[in-house]
Amino acid sequence: MSSYHRPPSVAEALRLKRELPGSSFIAGGTDLLVQMKDRVRQPTALISIRHLSELTRIETDGGARLGAATPLSDLADDSALMTGWPILGEALRDFASVQIRGSATIGGNLCNGSPAADAAPALIVLGARVRIAGLDGERLLPVEQLFEAPGRTRVREEELLVSIELDPPLPSGHGVFLKKMRTAMDVSLASIASLALLRDGRLEEIRLAAGSVAPVPMRLHETEKVLRDRPLTPERIAEARRVARDEVRPITDIRAGADYRRHIVGVFVQRALEATLEKGDR
Amino acid sequence: MSPYLGKARPRPDAAEKATGRAEYIHDIRRPGMLHAAIRFSEHAHARIKGIDTLKAERIRGVRAVITAQNTPEIRLGFLRDNVALKGEKVRQFRDEVAAVAAIDPDVAAEAAAAIEVEYEPLPALFDPASALDEGAPLVHERDAAGRPLETNLMPVHFRHSSGDITAARSAAAHAVSGEFSTPLIQQSCMGTAGALAEFDPRMNLTIWAKTQIPFLAQRDFNSALSQIGLAGRNTRVIVPALGGGFGTGLDTHCYEYIAILLAWRTGKPVKILYKRDQEFAYLSPRQSSTVRISQGCDAGGRLTFRDVHVTQDNGAYGSWGATYPSVMMIPATSLYRVPNIEFDCELVYTNNTYAQAMRGYGNPELTWALESNLDELAEAAGIDPLEIRRINCNEPGEVTPMGLRVTTCGLRECIEGVGERLGWKNKGGWGAGKKRGVGLASMVHVGGSGRIYRSDASGVILRLDDYGNLYVASGGVDMGQGLHSALQIMAADSVGVDPERVFITQTDTSTCPWDVGTHASRGAFTAGNALLMAAEKMRRQLFEAAIDLYPDLVEQARRSWIRANPDTPPADFDWRASVAPERFQLRNNLLSLRDTPPIPWLEIDLAKLIRAAHFRAGGGEMFTVEAFYDPPSELPDWERGQGNMSACYTYGTQGVEVEVDTDTGDVKIVAMVSVLDVGRVINPQALRGQIVGAIAQGVGYALYEQVITEKGRILNPNFTDYKIPTAVEIDFPLDLEYIETDEPAGPYGAKGIGEPGLTPTAPAIANAIFDAVGVRVRDLPITPERLLAALHARYDDHIPRRAPNAR
Ligand SMILES: Cc1cc2nc3c(=O)[nH]c(=O)nc-3n(C[C@H](O)[C@H](O)[C@H](O)COP(=O)(O)OP(=O)(O)OC[C@H]3O[C@@H](n4cnc5c(N)ncnc54)[C@H](O)[C@@H]3O)c2cc1C
Repeated sequence: MSSYHRPPSVAEALRLKRELPGSSFIAGGTDLLVQMKDRVRQPTALISIRHLSELTRIETDGGARLGAATPLSDLADDSALMTGWPILGEALRDFASVQIRGSATIGGNLCNGSPAADAAPALIVLGARVRIAGLDGERLLPVEQLFEAPGRTRVREEELLVSIELDPPLPSGHGVFLKKMRTAMDVSLASIASLALLRDGRLEEIRLAAGSVAPVPMRLHETEKVLRDRPLTPERIAEARRVARDEVRPITDIRAGADYRRHIVGVFVQRALEATLEKGDR
Repeated sequence: MSPYLGKARPRPDAAEKATGRAEYIHDIRRPGMLHAAIRFSEHAHARIKGIDTLKAERIRGVRAVITAQNTPEIRLGFLRDNVALKGEKVRQFRDEVAAVAAIDPDVAAEAAAAIEVEYEPLPALFDPASALDEGAPLVHERDAAGRPLETNLMPVHFRHSSGDITAARSAAAHAVSGEFSTPLIQQSCMGTAGALAEFDPRMNLTIWAKTQIPFLAQRDFNSALSQIGLAGRNTRVIVPALGGGFGTGLDTHCYEYIAILLAWRTGKPVKILYKRDQEFAYLSPRQSSTVRISQGCDAGGRLTFRDVHVTQDNGAYGSWGATYPSVMMIPATSLYRVPNIEFDCELVYTNNTYAQAMRGYGNPELTWALESNLDELAEAAGIDPLEIRRINCNEPGEVTPMGLRVTTCGLRECIEGVGERLGWKNKGGWGAGKKRGVGLASMVHVGGSGRIYRSDASGVILRLDDYGNLYVASGGVDMGQGLHSALQIMAADSVGVDPERVFITQTDTSTCPWDVGTHASRGAFTAGNALLMAAEKMRRQLFEAAIDLYPDLVEQARRSWIRANPDTPPADFDWRASVAPERFQLRNNLLSLRDTPPIPWLEIDLAKLIRAAHFRAGGGEMFTVEAFYDPPSELPDWERGQGNMSACYTYGTQGVEVEVDTDTGDVKIVAMVSVLDVGRVINPQALRGQIVGAIAQGVGYALYEQVITEKGRILNPNFTDYKIPTAVEIDFPLDLEYIETDEPAGPYGAKGIGEPGLTPTAPAIANAIFDAVGVRVRDLPITPERLLAALHARYDDHIPRRAPNAR
């Protein structure tokens, strides 16, 4: 690494990125610096974005717009955000440690491209979109389509993720986020997010997503199909558990075996749905 | 009553460490210092065909590149089966093939990577069973003396046999057997390994080393000096602040000899430091083991036999860890009363990373099997687990089958204390209908050092300066466990000075007296005893000097008192007539006479006495005394498994309540109780630190920790993938209680407690899990995945669902 840059604006950041081949954007650095120490990545230059006020604003008016370089602790401290989209709060609660959450950014979590990114399943079920800026303009992409492969997203080399945009919350939607770690401060070995709308005992809407059980954070479409527009009963929940278990595509690695991960996804889907059932219509 | 003993006091090194002032090996720099990097093997077992160092040598900033070809061979290890740089073949992934000294660590690392090594791979062995197969390739073709070897079995023998086990087995009313395993685990020192070696112009060596055995290290390094042609030169070993030892400092290591070779080659100080991933990959972890055990009892629950066979995967070379079975034998023969016993252990060379000692030294491995299996026996016999332990409890005065002479023993109080504090009486039945369960396990360990070398001694030198400050030089090492705290308190109390006037000398072989090393929970016990002997000498010398000097000092004090307080009525007390050595007393730096009227000038500042002695006309004196303590114990005959290895024994019991999530296999510790016979509490604050830390390590051993390898290569060399418990995992109510049995051999009655805290933790947890869900896991760590698999195997997918508050 030969130089470190602190551009005054997003436009300037993008220009620098084109000018400096092999450079990397750095936000909180909690992923990137670890990778640099392990020599997995050796950028020629670092372009910091965390000081850009355009990227660190949280706006809520009906929907929400989260600056990509907002630290996770700022998100967790924003009461309008936490009241409107409580599932985000759940996803952030067991995320790393207080210290890491003070540096780590929401955009960094997504752009790092890890299948274990804890913000991803929650943002997917919320139907969030990301705004991506390049030198020749901006585009919007659903978070669900952002991830390409482990460590790779659809944010191109010379692009910057500027914000994450949320629709207004589902009225009386019920969100649950569950993750399994070996100990605290761990990369999750399976996680799920569930957003459900229960009316008169029927699931009017259900969105499920899972982390760490496929090459990318994934939506559980098959499991949703079993549930959507049907009464939510214990039998249905048991069926959803089975379908979810079969739907995910985990691998075995040193953190856990594939079968265990499938099992945990099933258990979590069941627990999330039971929580929704217990909460009832409201 | 002592004003300091048994009272909480922050350790003397605490503020320095908390404020970042303590100097660890990482902080030490010397003028002109170079940095070393090692090139490690890329094969588990291979012949080295050639090493090309040309590219590395050409890199700017490189000062030396060494290999077995261009340096003398340095042999090391408990069996001298290891060499600092490997020339013929590599036997494990971490074998040192070449090393570089350069002007900074990055250049050194770059050059090490640029070395080209050509190998011819050989068939490799990754588990003891296949290493013992007939026709298995040999890890070592020859022993250190050049004699051909025929097997991968290490030439170390530890056996015990007493009574008639065959008869006892057939006569037993109940008998159970099982096979239990423990994984390779990392000691996980906060401070990673490193050394700094420097030669002076006369070619004497100074080495700053992360060691627990400075004096045996001095011997090892002096022998290395001979091997490189510097016979007769000396090594000075300096021990900087240590960020943990846990057994990693019981051997000298290849990286230290490499630093010495590079310093010798370059004429410059050379430092080597391991980063965390290197610490994981290139430092020896704790041995993995398999224990096959059976135990039996009569109809009343009295133990009648115990049969124990241990297999240890030693890895490629022998360390002191290869003497683990010496300590395993203690619980195997002497935890509870058992008349008929067999114990043996085979240690096997493989091409895995070679293992070394860790806290507990074989005892946690054996206790894991023994105490888990004892619960199985209790179940088979229909006896409550606490009751079976009470029935077979050790007692003071007992001589065990191994010949251990039990002096004090608080085991019964420990077991019963745990029962009371954990609410054992209210404990539910067994079975799987509930998620919560309780379990307990006990331990015995050496409490008065453990003799595994011909000397088991500790020296202490005490010196008082002209101002009444007391300097304590001990050869024992404080690696964070609090030895210096114990020495400070004991020195203050036994000599009679203010603890704030006690200074512990940095551990250094050039200023401190000999000590065999800080292991076997022995530091405070042996150094404490030496200190008490020295303190006795010091007081004798002081009081002798006082016979002549005290009367005049009092006279001076009286005059200045009266000058300052002219109205003082005269006191008619003839202090000159009262002076006698046995009447002196020294407390808090004040010298006085016993049983005198309360006259203020009779108390003399110790510093005044010392200066009076120093400047005495016709020849002064100084107050420096030494003592050398070797405990009353025996070096056992290991082939027969006989001998009283320690001066006394520490006992303890832990109890735990767990909650098992039968959907995920998660185990949550709800509460934990530890009752430990410590002999006597010296500093409750430091003691608490030792026990809490040990229990955290025990919880890690039980539930999380494991070095994962694939064909000898370590796959999880970092704390992302090697899990130790965090504050979250040990955030449960922890109830610590101590039984003070006042051990006659111990300093102030204290026993060693460095290792006991983690010894019974894993079986206590496993026993609680069994109580909760009726499933026994026999392999550590008990991961959720393993426990869930065991639940599925037992209940065939019909695991009783959550039943909160079932208890
Ligand atoms: C101890 C520890 C614990 C952790 N625990 C968790 C956890 O529980 N859950 C979890 O999900 N993660 C965890 N992480 C990973 C990490 O903290 C998160 O992924 C974090 O959100 C990354 O954000 P950052 O700002 O630090 O990213 P950085 O490291 O700055 O960047 C990560 C990557 O994204 C790129 N990038 C960053 N921002 C942008 C942008 N706006 N546009 C384009 N590219 C960008 C960078 O170039 C880099 O490639 C942990 C990390 C550590 C060190």
